[in-house]
Amino acid sequence: MKFTADLHVHSHYSRATARNLDLEHLYLWAQLKGIAVVGTGDCVHPQWLKEIEEKLEPAEEGLFKLKDKFAKPMDAHVPAACRGPVRFMLTVEISNIYKRLDKVRKVHNLIWFPSFEAARKVQAKLDAIGNIKSDGRPILGLDSRDLLEIALEADPMNLFVPAHIWTPWFSALGSMGGFDRMEDCFADLTPHIYAVETGLSSDPLMNWRLKQLDPFILVSNSDAHSPAKLGREANLFDTEFSYRGIYNALKNSEDKGLLATLEFFPEEGKYHYDGHRNCQARLHPQETIKNKGLCPVCGKPVTVGVMARVEELADRQEGKKPPRWRPYKSLVPLPEVIGEAKGVGPSSRAVEQVFGNMLSSIGNEFYILCDASIERVKESAGDVIAEGIARMRQGKVEIAAGYDGEYGTIKIFSDKERKAIDKQLALF
Amino acid sequence: MHKPDHLNAAQQRAVDYTGGHALIVAGPGTGKTHTLIHRIARTIPCLKSDENILAITFTNKAAVQMKDRLMALGVSQRQVFTGTFHAFCLTLLREHWQKTALPKDFKIASPGDIQGFNKDVLERISLMKSTQLVIDPDEGYKAYQRALRQNNLIDFDDIMRETLIVLEDEHTAAAIRRQYRHIFVDEYQDINIIQNALLKALVGDAGTATAIGDPDQSIYGFRGCEVKLFHRFTDDFPGAVKLHLNENYRSSPNLLTASRQVIENLGTSTEKRRMSPNFQPVARIYSEGKLVIHCASADRAEADYVAGQIEKMVGGMDMLSAAGAQRSFGDIAILYRLNAQRRVLAQALDHLGVPYQVSAKAPKPEEYSDEAALGQYEEALDYTVEKVSLLTLHAAKGLEFPVVFIIGCEDHLLPLDIEGMKGDLEEERRLFYVGMTRARECLYLTRAGRRQLYGKTLSYGPSPFLSDIEEELKAHEAAHLRKRAQKKSPVDDGQMQLF
Repeated sequence: MKFTADLHVHSHYSRATARNLDLEHLYLWAQLKGIAVVGTGDCVHPQWLKEIEEKLEPAEEGLFKLKDKFAKPMDAHVPAACRGPVRFMLTVEISNIYKRLDKVRKVHNLIWFPSFEAARKVQAKLDAIGNIKSDGRPILGLDSRDLLEIALEADPMNLFVPAHIWTPWFSALGSMGGFDRMEDCFADLTPHIYAVETGLSSDPLMNWRLKQLDPFILVSNSDAHSPAKLGREANLFDTEFSYRGIYNALKNSEDKGLLATLEFFPEEGKYHYDGHRNCQARLHPQETIKNKGLCPVCGKPVTVGVMARVEELADRQEGKKPPRWRPYKSLVPLPEVIGEAKGVGPSSRAVEQVFGNMLSSIGNEFYILCDASIERVKESAGDVIAEGIARMRQGKVEIAAGYDGEYGTIKIFSDKERKAIDKQLALF
Repeated sequence: MHKPDHLNAAQQRAVDYTGGHALIVAGPGTGKTHTLIHRIARTIPCLKSDENILAITFTNKAAVQMKDRLMALGVSQRQVFTGTFHAFCLTLLREHWQKTALPKDFKIASPGDIQGFNKDVLERISLMKSTQLVIDPDEGYKAYQRALRQNNLIDFDDIMRETLIVLEDEHTAAAIRRQYRHIFVDEYQDINIIQNALLKALVGDAGTATAIGDPDQSIYGFRGCEVKLFHRFTDDFPGAVKLHLNENYRSSPNLLTASRQVIENLGTSTEKRRMSPNFQPVARIYSEGKLVIHCASADRAEADYVAGQIEKMVGGMDMLSAAGAQRSFGDIAILYRLNAQRRVLAQALDHLGVPYQVSAKAPKPEEYSDEAALGQYEEALDYTVEKVSLLTLHAAKGLEFPVVFIIGCEDHLLPLDIEGMKGDLEEERRLFYVGMTRARECLYLTRAGRRQLYGKTLSYGPSPFLSDIEEELKAHEAAHLRKRAQKKSPVDDGQMQLF
């Protein structure tokens, strides 16, 4: 069956996350977004794991659902048009900080588990190695390769996915602390990795440029630190609705179980361009080269973003596809489309209201962004928003690219256009 | 630090010297072990087929490391006995037990084997055994020894004392001396009178002794080690030469200067420093390091400061504080005078999720099992995981780190004088010096205006050792008004009131 999965999220036990990032709210927001399988995140954190065990019950193989008594109170907040089954999968992200090949490396890695038993085995190992109680995403002075070994030894069905592989500071291939080759990071165990996460600042098109990534399926997740950020990116599967279904879709090269990924426009990600956030210096990689890698404001080396880093390591022409490529859709979060249409910020009251109305009358966010007819959107939300979604689907958006931790900003309409469309509307 | 085969001129002289006994005075970071293993390797060709070299280390761990390094130089394990005094003596005792009053199957007492003696009594007896060649036994001593022997036991101090008895047998001693004509002792500043007697007995008239160490790093006086034995080497071993290693390959020049300023204020007591011009250290690291002085309001704030600095230098541990990454956790050590200072520190590190490991105990050769004493036991070290090291100043001996924090740089902690614990002033100074000289690039000396220790609130001024460092070398860093980061930072979760 077809379903959408977001397998990189956090809990309120991780640093800098929302207080209500709990299972109930993940259940709620998964439905609003149109996600059927959501990661638990942080599942080696002792208290969080306890909470997970208490509130979830087994559903399909390797998938779990919120017990009725916890789900019921949330159901009232889900419009009928959005309701759907939500399943949880046991997932965790580990921050590995260590020295390798004479450099400090900071690599974030995801582990996905087929069972509580598998998760607890890894939990016990990591507990012996370091501190897993302070942070839902534990920081370990452990080599990524050794973490992979621990995961594989605990259960061969565990899936190990290097997280947002291009993020400058915290990833396998990032410009600041990463490696040039996946093999340098994961050494002899590299073949046991079946998928890599592209992160918000890169899309499949960019990742196709590296032949060394050909063996891996590209996956996309939200890395949400609050429930509303769920599904910023996600995976569209068409496979058995179970852990094994997902596992096979990633592992077996003939398996077409991963249909497509739902992506950010990479320019909107926080590290697409180069620059310095504190200096408000946003540099296109060409400008960076012209400036010899230095910030025009403070003169210090800029944070090199994903676009430049991909270019540096690329060995395939742009547009050429690798053998195992999967299609993808570039989306803009619905609140941002609404905000653009109305000329207000995406978190304003006005946007909230329209967003709520649209979910009630049309369906979940992914349905609205990808599948709903423009006519239908028009009926519910008016011409400008419908036009916004149409433009987004055609890729007709302008984006001031993100850099050094600053998100990119989306522009779908100019002020003039917005008024013109409004005026047309006023004529009727 | 050192290329495997490179020796500087002074090291080369120490390696090549063949004129008899030698005392090598080697400051921190001057390539002490490097020189020693090369000198051992240099001696190998002089061995007859039935001869061995005896290399005495301070701990079993050091013995393992020395074996590895000797092996890397192509020295066969069979040619060198590498181990602590205890390990070597136990080997002799197992072979020559008939020369003593011990039964063949004697065992080494473990803590708790002998009941009915409290800790103070045991410590006093141990101190007697390690500081008096001839003991005038009191009733407690006699009762303890009786209890040991009734159970076929000897304690760790006895291992060496019984070996001295073995060596009184001229025939046996001669045979042992024939086998070990070349004896090397590391960390000679931390030997006691018994070990000194053993060494003299082992060397005899025909052997050659090489001792290496740094009198400025003698920190085990409370266990009966005597730094004056170091200075007496040339008397104990007639004709001995004194050689100096003074090129420092460890610390940045400003850190080296600061530590010299502390140690050169050593008192004018019996241990008056014998400064010779060629003993002045020379920096062989040329990049400037960082010496930071920080005063916090209280111990919790001090701990938060340390944890925060670590977070900063590891380059921020989450996306929000990402910055230039230079250090990883294994590069960093936090040192303190008392284990009791650790709790608050651990809390602060836990809070930020900084991984750390505690080496609570100073290396005590006495605490190893029979097997361990023989050097067959290797500590199960976690080589694969990097963590910040939390160590007492004593336990930091022999180690080095790019970044070192010494916390609690307060009067009454350094030098120690609280709760009935009072350290010898000069030894405390050397201890602080040992701590400072562990740092390669960054040294943080922190203190707190008040702290909780042993259930009391204590408030002391800065350690007097701090004022020995000239102001110009110090960077004072103020406490940032940095709130204890909230566990859950109030990120707006955009939770909308939709329906």
